[in-house]
Amino acid sequence: MSVVNYGTREITCKIVYYGPGRSGKTTNLQHVYSQLPEERKGKMVSLATETDRTLFFDFLPLDLGTISGFATRFQLYTVPGQVYYAATRKLVLQGVDGVVFVADSQSRQLAENIESLQDLHANLADEGFDPRTIPLVMQYNKRDLPPGEISPIEELDETLNFRGVPHYAAAALSGKGVFESLRSISTLVLSRLSAPASKGS
Amino acid sequence: MAKEPEEEGGEFADFLADVSKEIAERVESLAPAPKPPKEEKKKTPVVAASERRKTPVAEAGLIVEWPNIADRVIEEIR
Repeated sequence: MSVVNYGTREITCKIVYYGPGRSGKTTNLQHVYSQLPEERKGKMVSLATETDRTLFFDFLPLDLGTISGFATRFQLYTVPGQVYYAATRKLVLQGVDGVVFVADSQSRQLAENIESLQDLHANLADEGFDPRTIPLVMQYNKRDLPPGEISPIEELDETLNFRGVPHYAAAALSGKGVFESLRSISTLVLSRLSAPASKGS
Repeated sequence: MAKEPEEEGGEFADFLADVSKEIAERVESLAPAPKPPKEEKKKTPVVAASERRKTPVAEAGLIVEWPNIADRVIEEIR
């Protein structure tokens, strides 16, 4: 859980980008990374196969500097979307504070979106989180594809967003909707910031 | 592909501004309340040795009839 630590004056939040394979999770992180000023650019860790599929996970540490006297760090992760990396997805979800679900807007990918969302809920529950309350935003990616190939936002929202969480149309390749989604999940996560349970934790 | 970072008013700067505002509000509302001044501990009154109450032997619950009790326990076991 995200914690504001008054002892060490630190705030750390973990945000995971979840979604089916090839929906654009890594592209989201790549866009965020590309927009970082040089002095804040850490190292984006990306483990991909030869065909650019995420093999393990992507990790982008975001050092936001000192805000209100607190050293603030966001950790952005992606999970591998392919079905057979279930164990890795579960591992990456440990200690998560908020989730951006990156859905593929292509009509033919609707079943994969649903399957991934169900997988997210199951893994969150397994990790002890309540899937109904954890901070979540939906990102409907690839809105730049021809209209005939993608589902309308309303249809995606009706099918996937039964919690009624904030949703964003995105085209991660050009950066559209990427920071809107990140800003939204950050606000949700920060609104749940809590003081540490015990002194010095 | 990804765009070049913008120096002023870029996406990251806007994001950082929003996050900073949110954190400022949260930190303020979560700031630990100042601790109330400590109450002075009451000192244990010191009693002079001569004034200390001497506990009578009977009050201390001292068993003085060991043989009888031992006999009764042995009887119970049998």
